[in-house]
Amino acid sequence: MLTYILRRFFFLTFVLFGVSVLLFGILMTFSPERRAAAYVTTPQQAKDIPRIIQQFGLDDPFYVQYVRWIKEVSRGNMGWSLVAARPVGEAFWRYFPITLEMNLYAAPIVIFLGIWLGSVSGIHRDSWIDHSTRIFAIIGWSLPTFLFALVLLMVFYGYFQMFSPGVLSDALAMSIIDHPDQYTAYTGMLTIDGLLNGRLDIALDALHHLVLPILTYVIVVVALNMRVMRSGIIEELSKDYVLTARAKGADRRTIHYRHARRNALLPVVTVAGQLVAMSMEGSIAVEVVYNRQGIGWWLAESATQLDMPVLMCICLFMGVVFVVTNLTIDILYAYIDPRIRLN
Amino acid sequence: MTPLIRTENLVTNFYTYEGVVRALNGVSLVVDHGTTFGLVGESGCGKSVAVRSMMRIIQEPGRVEGGRVVAFFDPRDKRRGIDLLQQSEAYMEHLRGDQISMIFQEPNAALNPIMSIGDQVAESFLFHKKKEMAAAVLAAMDRENGRPPWPLGAFQRALYARTAVSPRDPLVALTGRLPLVRRWQMRLRREALRRSVEIIGKLGIPNPEAVARLYPHNLSGGMKQRIVIAIALACSPLLLIADEATSNLDVTIQAQILDLLRHLKETEIASILLITHDLGVVAETCDRVGVMYAGNLCEVANVTDLFNAPRHPYTRALLEAVPRLHQDGPLRSIEGAVPNLVNPPAGCRFHPRCPEARAICRKHFPETVHLGGDHSVACYLYTDRPRGEGAA
Ligand SMILES: Nc1ncnc2c1ncn2[C@@H]1O[C@H](COP(=O)(O)OP(=O)(O)OP(=O)(O)O)[C@@H](O)[C@H]1O
Ligand code: SF4
Ligand SMILES: [Mg+2]
Repeated sequence: MLTYILRRFFFLTFVLFGVSVLLFGILMTFSPERRAAAYVTTPQQAKDIPRIIQQFGLDDPFYVQYVRWIKEVSRGNMGWSLVAARPVGEAFWRYFPITLEMNLYAAPIVIFLGIWLGSVSGIHRDSWIDHSTRIFAIIGWSLPTFLFALVLLMVFYGYFQMFSPGVLSDALAMSIIDHPDQYTAYTGMLTIDGLLNGRLDIALDALHHLVLPILTYVIVVVALNMRVMRSGIIEELSKDYVLTARAKGADRRTIHYRHARRNALLPVVTVAGQLVAMSMEGSIAVEVVYNRQGIGWWLAESATQLDMPVLMCICLFMGVVFVVTNLTIDILYAYIDPRIRLN
Repeated sequence: MTPLIRTENLVTNFYTYEGVVRALNGVSLVVDHGTTFGLVGESGCGKSVAVRSMMRIIQEPGRVEGGRVVAFFDPRDKRRGIDLLQQSEAYMEHLRGDQISMIFQEPNAALNPIMSIGDQVAESFLFHKKKEMAAAVLAAMDRENGRPPWPLGAFQRALYARTAVSPRDPLVALTGRLPLVRRWQMRLRREALRRSVEIIGKLGIPNPEAVARLYPHNLSGGMKQRIVIAIALACSPLLLIADEATSNLDVTIQAQILDLLRHLKETEIASILLITHDLGVVAETCDRVGVMYAGNLCEVANVTDLFNAPRHPYTRALLEAVPRLHQDGPLRSIEGAVPNLVNPPAGCRFHPRCPEARAICRKHFPETVHLGGDHSVACYLYTDRPRGEGAA
């Protein structure tokens, strides 16, 4: 088991290498001038472009630039973020908690709600609950996330004035800025820091700002989970071992939850990787629309400005997330299914 | 002979997208106490549907829509029959696995792939023998208890005492479900597992403790079938239904399993309802035989009568299709195909293939005729003759 995990982490380095070469290669297709222009803010500075190219070696061969980048990264220097106006590493830790916070709330909802609604609609096939979850799933599955987020924002904020965008109300944000000595950012996650600082008002306000993002996110991501669970339950309930269990005298509860659901969880675990990919994509749209300055927002802003160091950093981060997710899936799978042995 | 279970005009339909599959068209059969009843017929004629209807475990989209299933399971009054189709689902759950059990055709699919063998067998005990097991645990607790019981131990003991009186006690049910609290049942589970190991061992599986910890994919087909039998036998049922229990096993294993069933019949269970394609098995094991065709029971007789003097044209065709050691004429197969049960032929469902079909056979369904000697047949060849005579 331990050797398996270690081997997978060893494998991670190759994944990161591949991802970084690929992304670096794509960015190299922009001309050196185009990349240098990212550092130019006024028309007068345009004459500095050849100097910038010269200084940073932007027209060196691909591998020279790549090796230079690797060297800097291994020294802990990820580069400078224009959007954040601070080093990339520092900026990352500033934006990351915002995204993590949203995911920490949304993930359990997606997982448990998906499994629960999926089981119920599979067990009560073609009942009203099955039909309503199907509609729910079609909406979540087919509408683009940004469109769905915009619609929710228009309805709730635009029409009912209920949930404002951003992460915190202005008055509370000002109170933190005005009295920096009374508030310590332990985790960077406002709901948790609010509680740790004994500021219930901040925690609740931050939670209030999380409602729409989480709602969008859950509806978009839960569809896959729910439908896979539903079809899994239906398939398992038609299998012979269910008949054996019934012939033994098992009641419905036991058949549904002890027998069918555990088996139906296997395909759900398999699509968990896809869920993580969807939630990353979801983070970008949700954070941009609701104006939450997290990783997704940072990525979108940096991409439009061709801010290379930031793009490289976020891609490496996603690579790590994916490898860790897949490792977790494998371990979980081996835990549920005795037919699988890790080696 | 006293009957153990009897079906009367059992009708089961499947509501599929292609139409209504009329899988059982009024099946009446009787399984007597202490006998083995064989059910034979071509694939798709409704044997499995018949026995599943008797146990009320027909799967979607099927429904048992008519008739009665009368069970005489009362040990004190063997003539008191109960119509199972009128009982609640809870009543059936309590009956299944305890008084009627079933062994299935495909041992590779009949076990839950992600549950250990021991747990799957133990379920039978946990469903039906909670009361006895709780009493046993209670007795063991009292034997061990030298020191004064700690508070949690006293609580646990109280719950076992309640279970031993009534396993459906609401407090027992509630505490059996709450996370963590439900761990008080640990000893009950251990007792169930101990009994499982015992029954697995009794079925001739070496090293039962180790096998109980394995999963289905670790075992061979024959072993799995023994486990399925162990599950069915766990609570010593009155009626064991074996639905082609040996069809998918190789010949030596098949013989072992049949021997096992015969042995069990003498020691553990009252009656067996055996479904099979193999007329040789029927001749060796059964006392009575029923022949099914396209959702109808066309002939029922004692085994020697059926083999020596088959009456129904379908039974005769079936017997002629079996190769024999001293074969005189050519081996004949039955002309034509099994009818589609969505749109079965009118009248006698066998008439398109019957060499002796008459005009009336195409219009009306033949009544069952009793020919004496407990031989009954549903065919117009016999309706106009007086009872008991009936030569062909
Ligand atoms: N789940 C189902 N849905 C639709 N039709 C079904 C279903 N189960 C059985 N049937 C129909 O019922 C009829 C009888 O099936 P059954 O399984 O009882 O046959 P059988 O005699 O047991 O055959 P075999 O020897 O192959 O096991 C078949 O014609 C089949 O079409
Ligand atoms: S009733 Fe008619 S068709 Fe049916 S088996 Fe008898 S003779 Fe043949
Ligand atoms: Mg069958």
